Amino acid sequence: MSTTTTRDVTRPAPAKVSKAKPRRGVRGSTFNFWLFTGPFLLGLVIFVYIPIGWSLWLSFFEARYTVTPNTFVGFDNYKQMLTNGDFVGALGTFTVFAIIIVPITWALSLGLALMVHRLRFMKAFFRSVFFLPTACSFVAASLIWKMSIFSGVRFGLANTILGWFGVENIAWLANPSPPWYWLVIVTVRLWLQAGFYMILFLAALQNIPPELYEAAAIDGAKPGWQTFRHITLPQLRATSTAVVLLLLVAAYQAFDEFFNLLAKTTWGRPPLVELYYTALGEDQDYGAGSAGAMILTVLICTVTLLQGKFMGFGRGDETK
Amino acid sequence: MSAMSSNNWDRRSILRATMGLAAAGGLAACGGNTGRSEGGASGKALTQYFHAYGEAGTQEAIKRYAKDFDGANVATQWITGSNFESKLFSALLTGNAPDVFEFHPQLQLIKSGQVAPLDDIINPVKDDFNPADIKSHTVDGKIYGVRMIDDPQFFFYRKSMLEKAGVDVPQTLEELAEAADKLTTDKVKGLFLGNNMVSTNYALVWAAGADQLNASNEIAYHTDEVAAALRLYRKMFTSGHLLLDAPADYWDPSALVQGLTAIQWCGMWAMPVMQKALGDDLGIFPFPAAASGAKPAVYNGGWSMFVNAKGKNVDLAKEYVKWLWIDQKKYQEDWALSYGFHVPPRVSIAESADKLKSGLPAEGVKLFTDYGRFDNINWTQAMITALEEVIADAVRKGVDPQKALDTADKKVNRELKKLFG
Amino acid sequence: MTTTTPPIKDATPVVTKPRGIRRGSVISSTGLYIATGVAAFLFLVPFYLIVRNALSTDAEITGENWKFFPTDIQWGNISELFSDNTVPFATSLWNSTIVGVAHTVGVLLVCSLAGYGLARIPYKHANKIFYLVLVTLMVPAAVTFVPSFVLVSSLGWVSSFRGLIIPGLFSGFTCFLFRQYFLGFPKELEEAARVDGLGYWGAYWRVVVPNSLNFFAAIATITFIQGWNAFLWPLVIGQDQEAWTVQVALSSYMTNQTVNFHLIFMATAISILPLVLVFLFLQRWLVQGVAQTGIKG
Repeated sequence: MSTTTTRDVTRPAPAKVSKAKPRRGVRGSTFNFWLFTGPFLLGLVIFVYIPIGWSLWLSFFEARYTVTPNTFVGFDNYKQMLTNGDFVGALGTFTVFAIIIVPITWALSLGLALMVHRLRFMKAFFRSVFFLPTACSFVAASLIWKMSIFSGVRFGLANTILGWFGVENIAWLANPSPPWYWLVIVTVRLWLQAGFYMILFLAALQNIPPELYEAAAIDGAKPGWQTFRHITLPQLRATSTAVVLLLLVAAYQAFDEFFNLLAKTTWGRPPLVELYYTALGEDQDYGAGSAGAMILTVLICTVTLLQGKFMGFGRGDETK
Repeated sequence: MSAMSSNNWDRRSILRATMGLAAAGGLAACGGNTGRSEGGASGKALTQYFHAYGEAGTQEAIKRYAKDFDGANVATQWITGSNFESKLFSALLTGNAPDVFEFHPQLQLIKSGQVAPLDDIINPVKDDFNPADIKSHTVDGKIYGVRMIDDPQFFFYRKSMLEKAGVDVPQTLEELAEAADKLTTDKVKGLFLGNNMVSTNYALVWAAGADQLNASNEIAYHTDEVAAALRLYRKMFTSGHLLLDAPADYWDPSALVQGLTAIQWCGMWAMPVMQKALGDDLGIFPFPAAASGAKPAVYNGGWSMFVNAKGKNVDLAKEYVKWLWIDQKKYQEDWALSYGFHVPPRVSIAESADKLKSGLPAEGVKLFTDYGRFDNINWTQAMITALEEVIADAVRKGVDPQKALDTADKKVNRELKKLFG
Repeated sequence: MTTTTPPIKDATPVVTKPRGIRRGSVISSTGLYIATGVAAFLFLVPFYLIVRNALSTDAEITGENWKFFPTDIQWGNISELFSDNTVPFATSLWNSTIVGVAHTVGVLLVCSLAGYGLARIPYKHANKIFYLVLVTLMVPAAVTFVPSFVLVSSLGWVSSFRGLIIPGLFSGFTCFLFRQYFLGFPKELEEAARVDGLGYWGAYWRVVVPNSLNFFAAIATITFIQGWNAFLWPLVIGQDQEAWTVQVALSSYMTNQTVNFHLIFMATAISILPLVLVFLFLQRWLVQGVAQTGIKG
């Protein structure tokens, strides 16, 4: 067993008990705080912060085929990750992916929500249909997409349908030009996710007070685009922000479908897949892999915080 | 959920549960139950890793052999398909590492001290091994790993389809491209080189008269002939005559058996299934020459057994490997011939292997002997990846082959520098 | 699937109650049903493919002409799947059930307590600690993947339920959701409980939890789905076949060297069946719960 696990751990705030806290008629709130949060925080430290710290430590070492290295190399791993085109290319891939997937999922789930919201009969049925794919795993979905819908052979569904119109079989995944693989990857994610975000939007739509629409009608706003633009959308602002944030984080974490659908490529590899191949796959270079992971973490944190600043996420805190 | 929706939990039991969880998470207890069956009659245990062979009965066979070993209770991990390297490598980092595992000879495993030398068990029977298999496992005079099976890879084709299209067996890569063209119909593609086409990368380099590395471990794959062959591959890729994105990759006989393609790159292991499905409508040929004066190529892949030098019981592990892969010829023969077809690396077994003596299997063995080339132990995983990326870039993406080879050179040179200074 | 452009332009809010039915509304409502129907059809196609392939023979799936439905429904595929001893499918279903349930109970317990503590118990450093939780949301799991694996393995938890379940219990996101929810929980209820002499702990179990069952149910459902569908971690931790979860078993069908379509899709069908049932029966709670999470409008 390795004994290096405890280094560089970012510790949670020190557990110093302060009596200066003005009490609100409650005894031992500090004790209670730790009683409630203690188990969770302990687990978080052990299973999240220690690995992060370990990663950070590894990133400064030459660590090939080992996770307990002893050759300190300073920032070499970082330099290598940033100068070798693969990792930077992966960041580019991610950007393309996010630019495609975030707006499309946002629009599709909002569109579905607006449609379902307006239905008078069979509302529950349609809601279930759109929501149901959320139950499927990426493994199952990739399997259906790869083996049955977008397989490059004649009995794939997509090629069968194209065949009825006399179109040649298309190699959806093997051939990167034209980049059909994006169609495969985007549709699988849309299918799996749109329903969940639709539910968020539906909930938000139900919370819009009817009086707003009535007032708008009195003011002469025409039903349709105008009310949507001036009432519905602004009322959905908070939900939209949250959805965009969740979508971005999910896009950053994209792994399963790229990993399962694209093999032996030099393209279509978002950062996590790239890191997986660097560290776990063939190279077994944990130092470089960890350096990439750290760069990625910093990037994600920056983007999230910036986005929070711009779009006002975290307003929930103010309700305290 | 069931626990939460009832509010009858009294304080104490909640507290106990919470503390229990905290303790479970907090106590970094070493050891503990690994969930494995420990010990047998002898009280000793070994773990072996195998990738999942596709042929029916293989998993049972490996477990049956292991059960017969008296020295220890051997647990088998049967690891499916594309995850094998990842699982093996990550497991080797931990206390749960396998004691013995199958893999290919690669220098970095030896340099990092991961695998134990096996001279003492191999030397007594060294002459009974195919010399090439000994050579490909030897570093600085020491032999690492016992070869279990040799797997020649070459092209399989449907005789009837070639006849119908009036195509002869291709003798050059150009002819292969032309054949793929003529054999393609609206239901059948002419040729299947695998979904990502990387599996032919060794054969392509060899058939173009080059090699991965030269004798002094310098890059030898970067030649104009290889670039020209890659250019031809690109032409084939864009022609629409190749089967791509098939549900089963090149190692599986499905594409040929289901009539999706007329010619398929595959291995000797698939021959029994193909013969059963197609009867006599089946022929084989090597990867055709891709440059003037070059020979056709066959890639002799295969699997070897290695002993984890950092394992808990290296001697016992060696004993097991010796018992099964040196002494038990009955099992070695069963393993090579009863499921898929493989060429036995033991000369004595190969000589008595009647199943490989006639018909198509005999032709396969002939290709193995005449054109087959083996793994180069100095060509490691990072270099393999680099050359696979050349295929991805130059063939699938359309990057200029010379440029793609240049990119690979950088990666290979970095690796060479790390290994040989 | 990509053709379902959201008909944002027709988005007349429903709230204009149809007191007198206008002609336009009949037309637009027909259009609405057609658009919704087309979208629903596209969303159902993958399910159709699973069922079709699961109940066909390989010859029919790979045949030259497309078959919409199997000529003879192959119920035998089910027994073939369970009698195939190369992949322990039945064991993996059982494992997934245990993992799913234990994961759910554990996450709910640990994260709800923490969420409540962070939301409602005054403590000087509560905000700082909350940020430490938030940060973990942004660190992708794969970043810490290798160290986590080595850590868990050095605890001796490989191929065990402990290894499959415990490391996943400490979900920053779920804790965050609980915190947001408890921020909006009516304070009066708790204060009434305090007056009755209950401390935080008592008030939590006697008042807060019983009044939040809908939310707990919603989170439970989502958590169960995540536990059931998790792939990367069980893949590496479940080294023994006896410790495989259903997702790992499924992926082993996909990467197996021999491809049996009917078995693969039968396995897929059976693997998603429990979740589809959970969904259909618990959907109301789910929808309500999602609506109550902190991210509502």
